[in-house]
Amino acid sequence: MLDNKGQIRIIEAFLAISVMFSVLVLTAPMSSTPDFEKQGRLKKLGAQVLIELDNNGTLGKLIEDGNWIALRQAMNLFLPASTFYNLTVYDENMQRVNTEEVSNSNQQGPEAIVIQYLCATQSSETHFYTVWLQLAWPK
Amino acid sequence: MKAKEMNRKQSSGQVILIAVLAIALILLSTQIYVFEVQMSRGNFNSSPLNDYIFAIKLGSRNVVIGSIANASESGSSTTFVANLDRWVALVNKQNQFGRSALNYTVEETTPYSSGIWLFWGTNGFGVSSASVQFTLNLSDREADADLSYFINITTTLTVKGSYRTILGDEKQVNVTVNLLNDGKPALANQITLYYRILNTWSVPNASNNYAVTDYGNGTYVTSFLANIPSQTVEVSVSVRDQRQILVKTNATCSQR
Repeated sequence: MLDNKGQIRIIEAFLAISVMFSVLVLTAPMSSTPDFEKQGRLKKLGAQVLIELDNNGTLGKLIEDGNWIALRQAMNLFLPASTFYNLTVYDENMQRVNTEEVSNSNQQGPEAIVIQYLCATQSSETHFYTVWLQLAWPK
Repeated sequence: MKAKEMNRKQSSGQVILIAVLAIALILLSTQIYVFEVQMSRGNFNSSPLNDYIFAIKLGSRNVVIGSIANASESGSSTTFVANLDRWVALVNKQNQFGRSALNYTVEETTPYSSGIWLFWGTNGFGVSSASVQFTLNLSDREADADLSYFINITTTLTVKGSYRTILGDEKQVNVTVNLLNDGKPALANQITLYYRILNTWSVPNASNNYAVTDYGNGTYVTSFLANIPSQTVEVSVSVRDQRQILVKTNATCSQR
């Protein structure tokens, strides 16, 4: 009778450990889910930068002229230094337009977001572009 | 008494198990609560939709500017409708915020025709204008957005001239040019002035002491000397604004 009691204690302890362990395993993926607020702020920032550039037709003109250096400089100027970005421009037929990389890093964290922005030029021969802006903050 | 104590000792393992279960439940429910709060915040944030709508309005405005620049150059309004069709097709392919339905109606009320009004008069007044009404509908499972917006891009030119006879046919001509973009003073990108001698239009240059004073508020005063035999001094002014929209007008100068 006394020997059995010891075994039951071991089983109970084992059960307690397994319950705690399974709860920790269950909750771990939840705590590592994307931070929606952070992503929202990043999306807002990216959209604001593109809108600011497009406000007087500068964005369309830089793309139309293929002035990727100036576009990169403008992005570097408008975005905080700690932000990673990668910008890709497509034409109406979704053919890639930018012949050079417009980015400040090839590091894109798991929480990178993408903004899709439609741009029309102000020139008399109107062109339409779809701008994909990937943004990420360092971990 | 001893039996009671013995019984308590025997069930202490079960108490630990129940306590562990309770702690596990608290941990789990806290995590679920935090997760739900994050989810609802992420979904409730409507600013990306506002930014998207703003970007569509901005793009529509750029299309209208480009189209009136084209129409003022070519005199044809067909490009305007073609550009609008392309823009609408591009926007309606988007599904970031559900189904996009952008439509447009060009202004047909007089003096507009197919959304374009080009009036380059002989009375010192010229207008290049485009006008269009857009409607945008965004619909998905969670929200619907319906809005309409009106875009009118107008470049207005006003020219007033005066002259005084210096000696014989030699006259000093002053021409004041006023440029407006959508009713507000605007800077010109290029101003070309012509004056008429019989049936020939000439451009004044340095030999005519041609000078332009820019007042920085859309007002430009030009002056030049020219031998004009007639008592009527006619000038023609062609201005391209900073949006590359061309506008022209002719004016008869009054004698000072």
